[in-house]
Amino acid sequence: MPGKHLSRWTLAWFGSALLALLAACGLGLLGVAGPGAWTGGNGLALVHVFALGWLCQVMMGALVQFVPVLAARPLALPMLALPALLVSSAGTVALALGFLVLEGREALQPLFLAAPAAIGLGFAMVAAMVGATLSSRDSLRLAEVRMVLLALLALAGLWLSGAMMVLTLSGRDPAVDLSQALPLHMLLGIGGWLSLAAFGVSYKLFAMFLIAPDQGGRLRGAVFLAAALLVAVLLAAFLMVLAGRPAEGATTVALGLIPVLILLYLAEIARIWRSRRRVAPEVNMLWSRAALAFLGFAMALSVPGWLLGGPWAEAAVFAALVGWLSTLTLAQLVKIVGFLTWIQVFAPRIGRQPVPMVQKLIDAKAATLCLALWSAGTLAGCLALLAASPAGFRLAAALLSLAALGIVRELIAVRHLSHLAAEERPAPLPPLILPLLQPR
Amino acid sequence: MTDRLPELRQALRGVLDPETGRDLIAMGMIYDLRHEAGTVHVTMTTTTRGCPLTEMLRMGVQAALLSVPGIAAVEVTLTWEPPWSPDRMEPPAP
Repeated sequence: MPGKHLSRWTLAWFGSALLALLAACGLGLLGVAGPGAWTGGNGLALVHVFALGWLCQVMMGALVQFVPVLAARPLALPMLALPALLVSSAGTVALALGFLVLEGREALQPLFLAAPAAIGLGFAMVAAMVGATLSSRDSLRLAEVRMVLLALLALAGLWLSGAMMVLTLSGRDPAVDLSQALPLHMLLGIGGWLSLAAFGVSYKLFAMFLIAPDQGGRLRGAVFLAAALLVAVLLAAFLMVLAGRPAEGATTVALGLIPVLILLYLAEIARIWRSRRRVAPEVNMLWSRAALAFLGFAMALSVPGWLLGGPWAEAAVFAALVGWLSTLTLAQLVKIVGFLTWIQVFAPRIGRQPVPMVQKLIDAKAATLCLALWSAGTLAGCLALLAASPAGFRLAAALLSLAALGIVRELIAVRHLSHLAAEERPAPLPPLILPLLQPR
Repeated sequence: MTDRLPELRQALRGVLDPETGRDLIAMGMIYDLRHEAGTVHVTMTTTTRGCPLTEMLRMGVQAALLSVPGIAAVEVTLTWEPPWSPDRMEPPAP
């Protein structure tokens, strides 16, 4: 069946995530949060619209689409894709509104308490689809597959730590020591779930887009071992926090493992880059280099971030979430949406009629401009956080908002085949978001 | 019987990999091509085993070969042994 490896709801996941991205950028522009103002209700709401609404949603949508490529088998339990999207979106909105309890809006308490259940249900459904697709003897031999499964383990830890903190903030038992739980929650989310999932998927995607041999080997095995150790230490540390024991030592060990993990990963990506057959990489890969640079930058900032805290820690988290994970995602999103659109419209014509190349669906110049603006906004944001400048941070949010709007505009143009000549555009056009494929 | 392989190969030159713009023969994705009494037997691969285009490429190969006069049937076998690697690609035209 054509398209049997495609998930019908991928573009809906991406659409939901992009709405959250625009909302988060807009809230930043309005000055809802900024340097030194992240732990109040407004700051936490903004952070979660970004981290959960944008990054987690887009990563879950990407995994539902790409684990079949990693495992070379159709997605398991595909009927869960839509309910998972709906329930995790509802949970995200509930959590963001629920944080306003901390700003004195007590009426939102029921929403705050219900949010972790909805988010957990969404996460569990995604984990069931992804885990069941990847869990075959052949697939488990691949380090990148095991890396994505590790990411799911970290996702469970992320959810549990988050749910416990919601209970604590609501004044309910069992309470946890927030000062110890918060760094672990962030490390499980950024370093565990999001980064490990990105690592696992990027090996295959980078090799495909660069036309490079996808060899795996010892280096990838070493990245997996470091990642497994990191997740084990983070989960053990959180269990210590739950047991009321100090976990600073374990957290320090985890922070020490992160540079090892990142340097090993970057070494393998550099090998893939050097062995590429595509002489002139496309815009998605060119700007993925900026994301990788931000990964190194976040790693460098994490040392003073842990030792000194304050602006250094804020800048490190910002560089990781906005620089590394978001730049990578936005750069690849342009290509992936182009590729999915091409499959939907032109794949049935292969061998029968002339078809355009995938890159003709994308305006590389427009995408370059937006990604350059995004990277500039990220740098400006890091500097503003380091300088504790709210005005500078709002300027950065303005740049990021413009860039995000530009990317969304470009993605809509891709879906409408706007960059193709009129005679190359078939009618009717595919629907913008729902569903990706018609039932066959 | 005349050797029809050149025209069959020519037909496959019209089936393009949308990512690189190169045809499947130049991509090294056609492992075997035989013709027996109006039936063409093709063994082909994709760049990665889980490629979402696998089925469409197989159908494209079938359609392209069926468009050659005198070809009544096409049997396409997909294989990933040996796996495709960029080393299989023809050097780019000068």
